[in-house]
Amino acid sequence: MLEKIFNLVKALFYGFVTVLWHLFKRPVTEEYPEEKPVLNEYFRGRPFLNSCAGCGYCKRVCPADAIRIIKNERIVEKYIIDLKKCIFCGNCMFYCPSKSMHMSNDFALATNSKSGLQIDIINRR
Amino acid sequence: MNFLLCKFLEFIKTINFSEHIALVLFSILPFALILGFLILTVIGLVLFERKILGYFTQRKGPNRVGFWGILQTTADAVKLLCKENIEISSGDNFLFTLSPIIAFAAIIILWCIIPYNAEFNMINSSVGILIYLIVSSFPMLFHFLAGYSSNNKYSIIGSYRALALTASYSVPIIFTILSIICITNTMNLNNIILFQTKKWIIFSNILGFVIFYISSIAKLNRCPFDLSEAESELVCGYHTEYSGMRFAMFFLGEYAELFVMCILISILFLGGYLPPFNVYLANIFMGNCSLCRYLIYFEQTFWLIFKTLLIIFSIIWIRATLPRFTQKTTLDFFWKYLTPLTIINLIIITFMRI
Ligand code: SF4
Ligand code: SF4
Repeated sequence: MLEKIFNLVKALFYGFVTVLWHLFKRPVTEEYPEEKPVLNEYFRGRPFLNSCAGCGYCKRVCPADAIRIIKNERIVEKYIIDLKKCIFCGNCMFYCPSKSMHMSNDFALATNSKSGLQIDIINRR
Repeated sequence: MNFLLCKFLEFIKTINFSEHIALVLFSILPFALILGFLILTVIGLVLFERKILGYFTQRKGPNRVGFWGILQTTADAVKLLCKENIEISSGDNFLFTLSPIIAFAAIIILWCIIPYNAEFNMINSSVGILIYLIVSSFPMLFHFLAGYSSNNKYSIIGSYRALALTASYSVPIIFTILSIICITNTMNLNNIILFQTKKWIIFSNILGFVIFYISSIAKLNRCPFDLSEAESELVCGYHTEYSGMRFAMFFLGEYAELFVMCILISILFLGGYLPPFNVYLANIFMGNCSLCRYLIYFEQTFWLIFKTLLIIFSIIWIRATLPRFTQKTTLDFFWKYLTPLTIINLIIITFMRI
């Protein structure tokens, strides 16, 4: 009986001290729009494309079938990537023979409409 | 209040105002003051709790509206007041509206019984503590009626739980107060405080303090005894059906009751408005000047509120630590352990007095 009470008091004491200790720790909250988080150098965010050759490797290796390439003769007219489907695996970037696909560290992808997520990402200089 | 009345009448004479109207004003003004203070305190208290609870769980709490989130609860209160008042289609609409009003009004009366310093005590009755006990049972009763009139299964379960809990915590509270009356030989709150000039009651009645503290957590309907509004089981307990202004009354009433109950704990056990070691800071820093006499009143209020905030902090700490007890555990705890302990405590105190 006494041991039971002792254990109870010990557990209560341990619990209360643990909770109080949290008061002196740094909060884990991130104040997002004001303070941007620090990202890893290899972070994979919104993809972008420089001068695509139109070989179609990326379309074949994409596990989510997110890429659609519209060609006119041999010139790439539209390179549409569906960010709803994209899982940001980075396959398209690794397999591109001309190293023209890149992934930026822009992670704020939210838009107001579905069409905002199907974007033509080719960068025609 | 006599000293204040004299000063007030002197002031009235200097501005050539009718004395009769001034006397009427004097009986209304303190209540208006208390009401304003109550609303400000409650809004501050909700913010205090949310902030502290946030930091206990390594969050920051509200930090968007205003600097450091200071205006968050004000915004919430304004939102609640502007919301639509949803009427219930079946059930007792009259009782449904009446319950929050009376529950809140009773708590305002509680606020008026408390002596905030040696001078400012609106209802200075010789049986102050008795009035407190009787009036403080009103909110719980009307919580029951609120659930009963809502015609909702969650509300009625919450109400029954509230009633069962009321029966179990009342005995320890009343018996502990009896032990304090035994020690001090008075029921007047002011005299109870003055009795503690040499030694606070907590030192002679530590068991009573622990019992009263635990029972008052149950009385305040707070974790770990918040059975009547257990969110995870009963949606919101007795106020599931409430919205808008009527819900705000329950919500504000809950926090106002928390504050006034903690004031009562500090009055009964921690010397109320008396400073620790009975030394006033005003006397230390300014000597015995005439201004000191007025400053001491403010200092007394400061000490009272300081002790109260400490107790409120500990209650929030308990909320952050302990999970909610089940119905059976709670009733077991109160009837099998706390009530016998209270009676033993009362007997010990009585023998010590003899
Ligand atoms: S990142 Fe992966 S999923 Fe997204 S387009 Fe490239 S290959 Fe497809
Ligand atoms: S992005 Fe690279 S892999 Fe994809 S079509 Fe263009 S050149 Fe080929």
